[in-house]
Amino acid sequence: MKGSTPMSPSRPLRTVVTLTLVGLLGACGGAGGAAGPAPGGDGTPVQGGTLTYLEHQPPTCLYLPAAGFYPNGGILNQITDKLTWQNPETLEIEPWIATKWEINEDATEYTFHLRDGVTFSDGTKLDADAVAANFDVYGLGDDKLKLPVAEFVNNYERSEVLDPLTLRFHFDKPSPGFLQGTSVIGAGLVSKKTISLPYEQQCQLKNIVGSGPFTLKNQIVDKEVDLVARKDYNWAPPSSKHQGRAYLDEIKIIVTPEDNVRVGALTSGQADMVRYVQAYDEQTVKDAGFTIYAEPTRGVNNGLYLRPGNSLIKDVNVRTALRLGTNAKEIVDTLFTASYPVATSVLSHLAQGYVDLSKELVYDPAKANALLDQAGWVNGADGVRVKDGKRLQLGVFVSGPQPLSKQTLELVAQQWTKLGVKLEIRPADAGTQAVDIKDAEKTAIQHGMVGRADQDVIKSHFHSKNRDVILSDDKKLDRLLEEESAEPDVSRRNAKVAEIQRYVIEQGYAIPLFEEPQVYGAAPYVRGVAFEAVARPWFYSVWKARQ
Amino acid sequence: MTGASVPGAGGVGSGGVPVPARVARRPRGRVPVGLVVAWLVVGLVLLWAVVPGLFTAYDPIAGVPAEKLRPPGAGHLFGTDAVGRDVFARVVHGSVHSLSGALVAVGVGLLLGTLLGLLAGAAGGVADAAVMRVVDVLLSVPGLLLALTVIILLGPGTVNVAIAVGIGSVAAFARLARAEVVRVRRTDYVEAAFGSGGRFGAVLWRHVLPNSLGPVVALAALQFGAAILAISTLGFLGYGAEPPTPEWGLLIAEGRNYLATSWWLTTLPGAVVVAVVLAAGRISRSIGRERG
Amino acid sequence: MTRYLLSRAGQAALVLWAAFTASYVLLQLLPGDSILIKFQNPELGLSPQQIAEIRAYYAGASPLADYAHTLLGFLTGSFGYSIDTGTPVVERLAEALPETARLASAAFLLAVVIAVVIAFAASYSSASWLRGALLSVPSLFISVPAFWLGILLIQIFSFRLRLVPVIGGSEVQQLVLPVLTLAVPISAPIAQVLARAIDQVYAQPFVPVIAAKGASRWWILWRHVARNAVLPTLTVAGLTLGELIAGSVVTETVFGRAGIGRLTEQAVNAQDTPVMLAVVVLAAAVFVLVNLLVDVLFPILDPRLKGAAA
Repeated sequence: MKGSTPMSPSRPLRTVVTLTLVGLLGACGGAGGAAGPAPGGDGTPVQGGTLTYLEHQPPTCLYLPAAGFYPNGGILNQITDKLTWQNPETLEIEPWIATKWEINEDATEYTFHLRDGVTFSDGTKLDADAVAANFDVYGLGDDKLKLPVAEFVNNYERSEVLDPLTLRFHFDKPSPGFLQGTSVIGAGLVSKKTISLPYEQQCQLKNIVGSGPFTLKNQIVDKEVDLVARKDYNWAPPSSKHQGRAYLDEIKIIVTPEDNVRVGALTSGQADMVRYVQAYDEQTVKDAGFTIYAEPTRGVNNGLYLRPGNSLIKDVNVRTALRLGTNAKEIVDTLFTASYPVATSVLSHLAQGYVDLSKELVYDPAKANALLDQAGWVNGADGVRVKDGKRLQLGVFVSGPQPLSKQTLELVAQQWTKLGVKLEIRPADAGTQAVDIKDAEKTAIQHGMVGRADQDVIKSHFHSKNRDVILSDDKKLDRLLEEESAEPDVSRRNAKVAEIQRYVIEQGYAIPLFEEPQVYGAAPYVRGVAFEAVARPWFYSVWKARQ
Repeated sequence: MTGASVPGAGGVGSGGVPVPARVARRPRGRVPVGLVVAWLVVGLVLLWAVVPGLFTAYDPIAGVPAEKLRPPGAGHLFGTDAVGRDVFARVVHGSVHSLSGALVAVGVGLLLGTLLGLLAGAAGGVADAAVMRVVDVLLSVPGLLLALTVIILLGPGTVNVAIAVGIGSVAAFARLARAEVVRVRRTDYVEAAFGSGGRFGAVLWRHVLPNSLGPVVALAALQFGAAILAISTLGFLGYGAEPPTPEWGLLIAEGRNYLATSWWLTTLPGAVVVAVVLAAGRISRSIGRERG
Repeated sequence: MTRYLLSRAGQAALVLWAAFTASYVLLQLLPGDSILIKFQNPELGLSPQQIAEIRAYYAGASPLADYAHTLLGFLTGSFGYSIDTGTPVVERLAEALPETARLASAAFLLAVVIAVVIAFAASYSSASWLRGALLSVPSLFISVPAFWLGILLIQIFSFRLRLVPVIGGSEVQQLVLPVLTLAVPISAPIAQVLARAIDQVYAQPFVPVIAAKGASRWWILWRHVARNAVLPTLTVAGLTLGELIAGSVVTETVFGRAGIGRLTEQAVNAQDTPVMLAVVVLAAAVFVLVNLLVDVLFPILDPRLKGAAA
């Protein structure tokens, strides 16, 4: 059967005919959801088919709060639902499993009303009890089961089940980020049985029972995950145009670590969609008539984060000099594409609380050199500056998850050579990295970013009790971040985030480079591609048009 | 890889059965063109390592970002890479890293292996059995696995990678050296030297060692090529030299991602490595034939 | 004969035990920290103190007791738990082994075929340039980095010519390119040994005699080369096993196959010592067993060695 031409006059008739046919077939086959969408050539979604999706890396531990890792999120986003849905365009929090909610004035009590009739794939009910069990673990952790606390919940005290479909969360301090926290990938809801398993077992995909539109069919560890649509799924976010079961029958997620194999497989028709298309391959994908999706991650930008604890760069002027001597635009122009906007602040311009600091983030090597001269660093014999017998040589690890991290660092090293600064780039191997990266003397600089569509993202990145990328000993920074995190009023909270961004730049803690997207490539017949607010794919509404 | 097999050098079978060296078929007196080319290749690469400035004016580390990903042409013989560095300059300047890495690797294998083999072959008896069991253990673990473990133990870095690769070839050297020593020991003149009251060490040094060295040197030449390959494989697996060191293995390993768009990044350094490894193999064969 | 077998088996067991102990000690010395690698994920928000607790949970009583426990575990077929995934190591090996076994055995067979073709074609070709060219093919084969070859093969045969898919496709289709990648370097030493054996046959004084009596070239090759070549080929085959395993690490990474090689690569990356230990011991065990088999076959295949062996 050929697809109908877009403007064909007989289209409505044909659609009706095919609809009836499919209906009949559905009835004959006894398959559920016979009232599914009609097949069609252009705009009308087609039911059925298998999507072959190539992942860059195998999933690691699938305990939900650890799901931020993109390969994990790509799976968990399909098999779990969340209390709320963050609209990726407006970033508003919308109902999903929770139909509505109330928050008290100082953001210490959240009451959620749940949708009726939602079940986990093992048949158990998704009710207030189950949600409470989930968040008690995410908020407090469980020492006996070795389950750690989740990053997206702050100041959690306890849950209170009011009736089977209503529950309230109590916080000992204001927790304004919690509502958004219920929408993030790590807040996926799992059955009571899953959440009561020890950490090691919650790490394994086969033990994760969610309520999402897909369920696990088959897994070959480190190679392939096959998901199959849940026929009785009927609780998509109300704002989703598509309701009912997913269009696709199956998703094959195949781990393909080689970049050139992923892209080659896509353009030669062996795969439908791939994650992590490198910047230099974007044109190849486009030239082959395929689509590039560069999805923003709305968080702390890809950049270099300088550690004041390192004795060579404890002087704020030296750190500032390094920033002034870094040409972010040259990096983007050389290595990346329009999908990677040059950073204009610590946060992405799509992040909440963003403030434009592009006036501060200029490239001024002359001033950088002057600052280094003033700080007492004099040019050494081999072109590297020296002070008190020490060379201005700074260590950094290549950051595995960041696109072209090695090339980026090599380019920065080239730029810094003009300042008389040596950047010592170390290959990313998990072994030494795990130990040395926590040592400011050995690792003066960290290359990284973090994505999350909430003001709290900046706290996650910089607070000494969170990711602590700069190994901070700055009490003022911690205090500012805590104030931001506990501020219930949105505009005041955004103002606080702006203040923090200015402070981080003033103190020379950050050299923002660019806004890191997640870049996907998809075949032209793959339609309805959607992403959550931080660029993890959501295959619920995806369908494959006839070719 | 740094495998245990000893192609072309007259290896020794696992059951102690000698594999006879290749019978020469070439009539005497003709110029072996292949061998001459092989020596030329090695000579050129050695010159690259010693005086890279004679061959290229470009900086291997600092590129011109605006001239990124240029295809090979008059300006850039091997084209430029993603940050605008001249690939030919990187290959030329990289030769010193790659060659010294391979040299260290062979040195470690040659020294440790020959020492072990010499000891086992000369001492005989229990010592021989003990040393050869150690060698069996080394042989039983695939070279790459051994190398990976050693790298994690020592940490990354050009020298450590070279040592790791070298340890993988200890077993091959030890077996060969032992077999040679055992063979030479049985010859009449060595028996005579012992008979006329020569001290063990002196006889070993003056008679056994020089006469056993031929095949060992042949194996060293062969392992030299194998080491370059092994180092590049480790680079591919992410355990290579520190960037931006223009080590050959790393050049090939990193260039591979640009294969679809910029073929020269991996293909041309790859061709250089293939040429050098081939040349090393050819030279190894010629040594094995003359001396073995 | 029985004594010979027993002593060889005893030696093999000794080598295995030594390999186990050496790798055990080596892996204990690793500076990295698998617990830290696994639990430092910032999203988990663990404090250093909590990580210390987790470490205490995984650590054994004393080094020696730990060693005895692990050794006993290996003897009873229990290899402990993977720190990275928390699953029993045996399970992970069992999942990965068939994939690698298929790949390696197919690659080995193909390597032998390639080697035989090269060696016989070289000996049969009368033009010396052709012979020289054919004989230098093995050298070329071992001079090409395996990962590079794999990627080139994928680009050309799968993406440009679209002859074989690397994603999806049947089991056979998925094997074609990886098997070729792995077979090429393995075939080289075998081809060289074979070619040498053929040379030797021609150097035998009886060859011109039977040739004069009218024996065909093929008949001579077949009748005498087969006999003479089988032993050295077996020896080399036993020795290439290590390269098969090393090659599978690279091949499986390039082609995204979930076998022992890939498992190794990931275990090394995560410093998952139980998995690394199991892989090393498994590789050593296979190597020792195959070479034991070769040693046992030697006297059977070559009666001349019977006396020597006893």
